Amino acid sequence: MNRSSDRWLAYFLILPVVAAVLAFVLGPTWDVATLSLTQFVMGQERGFGTLVNFEALWADPVFGTVVVNTAIWILGGTVFCVLTGLAVGAYLAIDSKVTTALRALILLPWVLPDVVTAMAWKWMLHGQVGVIGDAFTRVGLSDQPISFLGDPDLVMWMLVIVLVWRKMPLVALILCAAIRSVPAEQIEAARMDGANAFQRFRHVILPNISFSLTAVTVISMIWITAEFTLPWVMTGGGPANSSQIMSTYIYQQSFQFFNWGVGSAMSVVNLVFLMAVVGLYLYINRRSWAAGGSK
Amino acid sequence: MGSVALRDIRKSYGAVEVLHGIDLDVADGEFVVLVGPSGCGKSTLLRSLAGLETISGGEISIDGSSIVHLHPKSRDIAMVFQNYALYPHMNVAKNMGFPLQMAKVSKSEIDEKVAKAAEILSLTQMLKRYPKQLSGGQRQRVAMGRAIVRDPKVFLFDEPLSNLDAALRVQMRTEIKGLHQRLGTTIVYVTHDQIEAMTMADKIVVMKDGHVEQIGAPLDLYDRPANRFVAGFIGSPAMNFMPAKVENGQAVLENGAVLAPAPEGLTEGQAFTAGVRPEHLMVADQGASANVTVVEPTGAELQFVVDLAGTPTLVSTRDRLHLRLGDTLHLEVEAGRLHAFDSETGVRLG
Repeated sequence: MNRSSDRWLAYFLILPVVAAVLAFVLGPTWDVATLSLTQFVMGQERGFGTLVNFEALWADPVFGTVVVNTAIWILGGTVFCVLTGLAVGAYLAIDSKVTTALRALILLPWVLPDVVTAMAWKWMLHGQVGVIGDAFTRVGLSDQPISFLGDPDLVMWMLVIVLVWRKMPLVALILCAAIRSVPAEQIEAARMDGANAFQRFRHVILPNISFSLTAVTVISMIWITAEFTLPWVMTGGGPANSSQIMSTYIYQQSFQFFNWGVGSAMSVVNLVFLMAVVGLYLYINRRSWAAGGSK
Repeated sequence: MGSVALRDIRKSYGAVEVLHGIDLDVADGEFVVLVGPSGCGKSTLLRSLAGLETISGGEISIDGSSIVHLHPKSRDIAMVFQNYALYPHMNVAKNMGFPLQMAKVSKSEIDEKVAKAAEILSLTQMLKRYPKQLSGGQRQRVAMGRAIVRDPKVFLFDEPLSNLDAALRVQMRTEIKGLHQRLGTTIVYVTHDQIEAMTMADKIVVMKDGHVEQIGAPLDLYDRPANRFVAGFIGSPAMNFMPAKVENGQAVLENGAVLAPAPEGLTEGQAFTAGVRPEHLMVADQGASANVTVVEPTGAELQFVVDLAGTPTLVSTRDRLHLRLGDTLHLEVEAGRLHAFDSETGVRLG
């Protein structure tokens, strides 16, 4: 075989992947982008090349709530996920029989289907029959049952807690692995140099795992942005849109109210946000690789 | 001041005891090398001294006060690790200043001490570089700098030259020795390389299987090894051993050939293991006859293996002999250079 036939073979071999990406990624993205610029009235197309969908979004009073909720969802979720993940990961990195067992057990929330998790938590947090509210009243923390998911001020944070419960284990495991791969000699050298446990964590372990930490932060952010089942099954955006986030609102607008245009416009906003996150990730990665990686 | 005393140090991992009661005294300013084959417990002993391992029994004291219950950082000991253990995210200056930063020393004082250590180690040009931009020898010097800035009572070195190539190892050996002469700080140094031990130490501690085999000055160990293990371990190329017997005051080999006068203190008819260093065997007109089986000229000296009463025996000489395989020659032992060891226990006789 000569060089040029090698090249054709290579193109041929990547063809399926290219086709799949075109069909399932670029195609729908193109559709959403064009839909967002198309006006719909009563489900009928009424002209392309307009920004009415974005204007409608801007004028929609719910959209403001959605933006705030989404910020709580994504930023709160990511920050708590990574912080608890870091704490749990650091604990799991300690060698003991307990942590060895926990390292396997901790993945349980991760392997449960989304719907099962959502339903279980929905009932546990239920105002009348939920075990958590019941426990609160029994212990005396509250006089009457708390409707965790019915309280507009609480509901978003409840969703974040469940989200962290579900997403944190993998973050913890990844960070645990990263912490365990920090050279033991560096930690011992730091002990000799007079660093206490906190200083060793701050000056030796954290810098060594910074690469994994950024990666896991960005990946969590993408997961959380894309997460739909959990909030939709637990609250459906309620009560009164107080837990409506981008993904649920897009779903509601598109598939319940059939406002394709507005739904697509929101998807475009969402996409731009995600691309910014990925861009940031690539920038950070490139910078650390330019400096020769973390090692 | 920095004198170290180890008394009956024991260390067990579960049911396995790896240090069986080690006693060692290190005088202030002394350069002590712990040497022994892999797994002999030398690194464990050093790490116990550093406080990185907790000992199962015994007493460690520096300048007379016990440090067993102190954390590593409170022992006033600095350690240089085999893999340097530099912090990859800190530049040379930060690496060297880290122990001072942990000790809450002021910024200006840190800069001053780091600059001084960098000058001693010729690292002044490298202060802004990161570990990955340095060569192995430079990294090793940074690791030493990090130890020096603390001005500790004792320096510990854990096989610091193992990761360097041969030429650099020789150079760093000289540098470390020079550093010791300059600073005068007590050093406890672990290596498996007996040449490092011989060239650098004031005092060598030979260890095997968690026991101390012998403690002494390099040449004492070379001249009067306490047992067969030390005799074989110290000296390169290694000592030859062969079975022998005392007959008429002579050390006689199994084929009846006379090797040399028997060392004093052996009784007539006693069987023992004779030990002769390759450099103490001389080609002579008379003496035990031997067949040449291997010839290896190294330039400076000639090494050859002979079959001496059935035992392959290495001879090394500075004479330019023209030897061929199969040649028969006669060997004598330099006067007083025949060592005798108990055939069973390996303990030195005579």
